[in-house]
Amino acid sequence: MTSSTDPLRLEYGALANGLSIVRQPPPPGAASFSATYIGPAGWGFDRRGEEGTARIASYLLPSGAGPYDRIELARYLDRAGATLTSECAPESAEVTIWGPSEDWRRLLRLLAEVVLRPRFAADDLERVRRQMAERQLREVSQPASRADRELFRATFPSGHPYRTAGLGTARSVGRVTTETLRNFHHRHYLSGEALLVATVPAHLRSVESVAGHLFSSIPETGGPDLPMPPVRSHRPRRLDVNLRGRSQVEIRIGGNSVARSDPDYPAAFLANEVLGGRAQLSRLFQRVRERGGLVYHASSELEAMRFGGYWSVGAGTGPERYEKVLGMLHHEIQEISRRPVPATELREVRESSIGEIPLALETTAEAHELAVEVAYHRQPPDFLLRWSSLLRTVTPDDLRAAVARAMDERNATTVVAGPLMAR
Amino acid sequence: MVPDGVRRPRVRSFVLSNGLRVLLAPTLESPTVSVWVWYRVGSKNEHPGITGASHWVEHMLFEGSPRFPKGAVERSVLLVGGEINAFTDTDFTAYFTTVPREHLSLPLRFESDRMTRAAITEEEVARERTVIHSEREGNENWPEFRVEEELFQLAFRVHPYRWEVLGRRGDIEQMTADQLREYYRRFYGPRNAVLVIAGGFDPRPTEGEVRRRFSRLPAWGDDVAVREVEPPPSGERRAVLRGPGTTPYLQVGWRSPPLANEQTPALLVLDTVLGGESRVFSAGVVWRGRREHPTARLYRSLVEKGLAVRATSGWSPRVYPSLFTVQAQAAAGVDLNRLENAVERTVDELRRRGPTAREMSDVRTRIRRGAALSYEGATSTGFRIGYFSTLHSLDLEDRLYDRLLRVTPRAVRDAARTFLTPDARVVVRYEPTGGPSDD
Repeated sequence: MTSSTDPLRLEYGALANGLSIVRQPPPPGAASFSATYIGPAGWGFDRRGEEGTARIASYLLPSGAGPYDRIELARYLDRAGATLTSECAPESAEVTIWGPSEDWRRLLRLLAEVVLRPRFAADDLERVRRQMAERQLREVSQPASRADRELFRATFPSGHPYRTAGLGTARSVGRVTTETLRNFHHRHYLSGEALLVATVPAHLRSVESVAGHLFSSIPETGGPDLPMPPVRSHRPRRLDVNLRGRSQVEIRIGGNSVARSDPDYPAAFLANEVLGGRAQLSRLFQRVRERGGLVYHASSELEAMRFGGYWSVGAGTGPERYEKVLGMLHHEIQEISRRPVPATELREVRESSIGEIPLALETTAEAHELAVEVAYHRQPPDFLLRWSSLLRTVTPDDLRAAVARAMDERNATTVVAGPLMAR
Repeated sequence: MVPDGVRRPRVRSFVLSNGLRVLLAPTLESPTVSVWVWYRVGSKNEHPGITGASHWVEHMLFEGSPRFPKGAVERSVLLVGGEINAFTDTDFTAYFTTVPREHLSLPLRFESDRMTRAAITEEEVARERTVIHSEREGNENWPEFRVEEELFQLAFRVHPYRWEVLGRRGDIEQMTADQLREYYRRFYGPRNAVLVIAGGFDPRPTEGEVRRRFSRLPAWGDDVAVREVEPPPSGERRAVLRGPGTTPYLQVGWRSPPLANEQTPALLVLDTVLGGESRVFSAGVVWRGRREHPTARLYRSLVEKGLAVRATSGWSPRVYPSLFTVQAQAAAGVDLNRLENAVERTVDELRRRGPTAREMSDVRTRIRRGAALSYEGATSTGFRIGYFSTLHSLDLEDRLYDRLLRVTPRAVRDAARTFLTPDARVVVRYEPTGGPSDD
């Protein structure tokens, strides 16, 4: 059996217990290896009254596991020239190890220790509680995070995973114990819905064989269900949050959007790139920053996740200019909603998106990020190879139809947060 | 030499007759190529009235020339899927473009153009003024930025390191297009630049193309030494800032030696012992954020003990003496006196006893192993080669590694005693006022 050498072509396998294994060849010339374990362990699974549990569990994973306390674990990583990071999102949490290719077997073993046998030491929990408390304060007092927070609260109903940043409250974080963490870990990391993605210079069979030994303790179970209360549409609204003493006002306009599996996603992706996603080529950058000279940053984001998504336009500007900038942002959203994107503009943005694929393969870490994304969204193994042709089928009409569903201005919420002038 | 296992590509270096230094670092299998142009100009070359000029000129180099109208450069790069950006520091300004390898000619074409022919028109300067204001305002939203700006302002009274790279608000309001053009004419040009090409390209034809595009440029660009010498610190300096925030925050700074100083390796080790990781041996295009390292002294004495939620040290060695800093964000309920005393005790312990043998062994391992993969990818390679070559010389990296691995515990203790002295420190405290204060 031949093994692919193209990092754009993934190979899928599975262990007997159902753990999905995804192998990606490393980019040419790369000397590093990366592997990520993704579990259905995002903060959308936090129990009511224990909000913050998922984030705390995620923070604590690299703080000691199996035979290693946090210092021994850090020294092990230093000796290997490796790094270990954990991230938590609304739907899932992931742990990534990166290091020299030749050590991939022992690094994968270490990843398994961290994922399967975290220590959740009581003193580490206390430390993370203190750090969470400061982050909670930061979330409400910094204009950028405050604007995001208000946008999500206005868009998603109570209990929805995308409504919060998973930080919990002082009270809910105070309720989290090591026992809470162990239960959460058992339910959400040792789960049949988990995935292991490895960017490694080895055959899929070798990865399966090594992983089979390391991850055999995961029980054959189905994954937990992510609660997704229905999102109701509402009329456009505006929220002003006056944060005195800051220098800049942050603006967000956005709302509910589509999931990654939505058939309109490629068109919605390109619509976002045209509006504000494709850096210097986008309308927001060109018109609000370059022509208007009004802001340093103006961009848009389409976060299409596995079970749903959101879109958001963002900019930061001075207190005397934000109403003018707000008007321009609304104008650009209306433009893309109501008028067809010229074919030339669509072609340019599309070819730019396609052309950047080689840049995403510069290093193992960058290529690995692509693989993790494809694997998490359960896209086919040759998805990255087909992505270009999917984008090339999108017409201006498709794009407009996608905007109506994925970036619907009629249900948008506008938030301005910062040192506001009296209106 | 760099530690065993570091896969730095072979670098071919030559200098054109107009003074442009060129470094070619091919890695034939790479699908991309990264072109970097480094100018030895930064906020060190400014003076009151034109603070922020280097950063502003960096913006203006994207605003067009007679040959490439405004936006054409970025557009041409993005249309082939490339990435283009630039950044300004105290000692340098760097421009980089990474593109699929078949498009190498594209950045060479516009970099040779904007090296001497940027337009810098009145109209574009006027428009960019608000953009730069906005960039500064975005930074001012963060107490950390305000504290660091105050720290350098307090520590330096003569040297240009006393102002922030973004420039002072008043200067951003007043600076004219004439002043920016004059600044550009003086400091930009082949004589004051280093061109680095890294990634997938064939060096022979590329050298030919570089000579064809850059050799005819006029030999402009002054590499001007800073004449102002900051007098030695004459006692502790302090300031308190107040404003919205979360918990009390503190930065302490001490005067540090320049990059090429004999004691620099020992101070880099000291930074690693205190903070966890030194910036010089971190991989990546832009300095990575410092990860929490549980063996670091500040982490153990402040974060683990519940006094701080974050605590680290930070030192980017510069061409001239700069500041070695320690930053700490208090845990809820911990006041600034307690936090500062804990920082002082931690530093004092190193002054008195130096690092342990175990710490030295840990740091050496971290340096050796951490360097191994730092040259992966064309963009990172272009950055590292350009960084060392611009600030000093390409061999500086080799020499630094060599000396870092031979630093003794006594040398680290001596460096702490020489530089981190209580009577030479600068302290800026940030006291948050009230709660989030929203209406």
